[in-house]
Amino acid sequence: MSDGDLGTPFRQRAGSAMKDAFLQEALTIATTKFIGLRREAFEGFPEGEALRDRARAIKEATLQRLDHHLETLVGNVERLGGQVHYAATSEEARSIVVDIARRTGARMAVKSKSMATEEIHLNEALERAGITPVETDLGEYIIQLAHERPSHIIAPAIHKTKGQVADLFRRELKRPVEADPEVLTRIARGELREKFLQADLGITGANFAVADTGTVVLVTNEGNGRMVTSLPRVHVAVMGIEKVVPSFTDLMVFLAILAKSATGQKLSVYTSLVRGPRRAGELEGPEEFHLVLLDNGRIAQLGGPLREALYCLRCGACLNVCPVYRQIGGHAYGYTYPGPIGILLTAMLEGPRSVKDLAHASSLCGACADACPVRIDIPRMLIELRREVDDKKIAPWRERVVFKLLALVLARPGLYRLAARAGRLLQRPFAREGTIRGLPFFLDEWTRTRDLPVVARRTFQERWASEKGFTR
Amino acid sequence: MTTKAEFFAGIRDQMRKTSGLFPASVTTRPEHPAAEVETIRRELAERWPETLETFRAEFERVGGVFDRVAALDEVPAVVARIARECLARELVAWHAGALGADLVSALGARGLAVHEMPADETAAVERERLRAIAARADLGLTGADLAIAETGTLVLVSGAGRPRSTSLLPPYHIAVFDRTALVESLRQVGVFLEAWHRDAAPPGTGAVINFITGPSRTADIELTLTRGVHGPKEVHAIFVERGIRG
Repeated sequence: MSDGDLGTPFRQRAGSAMKDAFLQEALTIATTKFIGLRREAFEGFPEGEALRDRARAIKEATLQRLDHHLETLVGNVERLGGQVHYAATSEEARSIVVDIARRTGARMAVKSKSMATEEIHLNEALERAGITPVETDLGEYIIQLAHERPSHIIAPAIHKTKGQVADLFRRELKRPVEADPEVLTRIARGELREKFLQADLGITGANFAVADTGTVVLVTNEGNGRMVTSLPRVHVAVMGIEKVVPSFTDLMVFLAILAKSATGQKLSVYTSLVRGPRRAGELEGPEEFHLVLLDNGRIAQLGGPLREALYCLRCGACLNVCPVYRQIGGHAYGYTYPGPIGILLTAMLEGPRSVKDLAHASSLCGACADACPVRIDIPRMLIELRREVDDKKIAPWRERVVFKLLALVLARPGLYRLAARAGRLLQRPFAREGTIRGLPFFLDEWTRTRDLPVVARRTFQERWASEKGFTR
Repeated sequence: MTTKAEFFAGIRDQMRKTSGLFPASVTTRPEHPAAEVETIRRELAERWPETLETFRAEFERVGGVFDRVAALDEVPAVVARIARECLARELVAWHAGALGADLVSALGARGLAVHEMPADETAAVERERLRAIAARADLGLTGADLAIAETGTLVLVSGAGRPRSTSLLPPYHIAVFDRTALVESLRQVGVFLEAWHRDAAPPGTGAVINFITGPSRTADIELTLTRGVHGPKEVHAIFVERGIRG
């Protein structure tokens, strides 16, 4: 199964996540901690609000001339001795990377954390081609050993305890291991150091790409991004087309808010500005540099309803504040990108059919839009997605019928009054202590988990009509 | 496979649908960044002690260890002390030309095996050998091209005589810098980057510019902060008051 647990319906996945006591605790601790760190970071940074506006404006301005900025990027990467490839689909992206690996005789590829390569399911394709992919971000390494998928954009293994990680290392690395994060980290350092020095191919994503200098920018805390771009003889970077920014001046605006939004750091430990392959006089650096520009549904949204989702920096801030994510965690969403922005990105990459349930996995409270460093209006687009799912008859027919009826009634005062009167009669067998319970047919699905108040004995309008005389 | 022409045709098709729909403005970039760099330097020449103090506080906040010496000839003693403390036996260093001075020949006498990295292009076999040395060394000694006060960050430009691995592979990293590297903010760094790209000579000619903000870290297991996961577990910065290049 390429996409988590898509065999089971979303409601079931969410349900089992909510029954998982450890996951519940881990989610609460992690998201609460990230929220606090982010808040502190911006409290001590008065210019942060203006920079967020600035960053948003840069994203929009860049999209408006995207062809120009991408052409500039391509020209500069090529001038620096790199090669650029164009992938319309994830399948194309996979075969581009696999072809590069084959041509250069690569046996093992070290990877730094990259959502874009998760999105295209690159690891499976490499394995099928006989090339061993090694995830080197500690969280991703754990996830890979466990044959799982990341559950958070920036903390992929928050759903695992140190005990589980120790068991995993014992089983996979066949050595005694103490369940202590310090020890586990040291073991991973040793294992992965060997791989960095042996690997022929380094694969990364790109946090940003600076058009006018042909620069790919990688942000990590561990230093694996530096290893992967310096030690193997070939470097391939896979980036979504929306990651381009015009200049270094623009880049600094994003760097000033990215880490603060993600982990509350002023900057992540390592920010690497990579400008093509090794240059004369350098001791290390790849002989070949490849940039894969990835469409995979993005281009269609340049003129589509999800355009604003292309501003996303993948910081994870909207996950931490989302009341739904905080309850169900990343895996229940079932796709590469979890959380509120993940629903939009899933719709972008996989089409509206994939989010027929997910489009409703939001309370529309707006916390995500507040937390987003570039102020993406996620709730607005979620509502639009719900409409699309309904318009295109993707939603179940019963849901569509109920909403059609509701729309019909709400738009006509006479019908509304009639319905209220009918409701008062019909609700009698189901009304208990002010709420309606145990409705027949599928209607029970609504009332099982929600309080539906009974229709009042007299409507507000009836009371208004009879009582306004007294209040004057 | 999709060609470049097809790829861009798809983008332009979509762009036509939204042209002028969204208000947005581009960032103004410095017109003469090299001149602005000089202005920044001139202004900082007067208030560098405050900038240095902010740098020290932020650098320590991210887990760095700060040292300050009056003159260049005191640096080897500090390096030797750090080497003793971390039981280091082998040290790799940027080339003297890149460091700005010979800081390492004095260290050999203190019982450290010292490897100075070459300043010129070397054959692939030799590069392999030097990389292996960096991978087993305990200590890496580099310069720093910028030191950002706002974030406690060291900026290192790669190039001849200034390998990337010196600040990456050994578990202990020491960077030596002076007031010419000090800047206040990320915004100012943007001006330097623009200048290096457009109208001023960059400090190094390599492909990579690394921002280093403290020791390598992770919190991927139960959010427990752990240092030195892939890169160095300790980062030291030595500030030379009287300047490195005289």
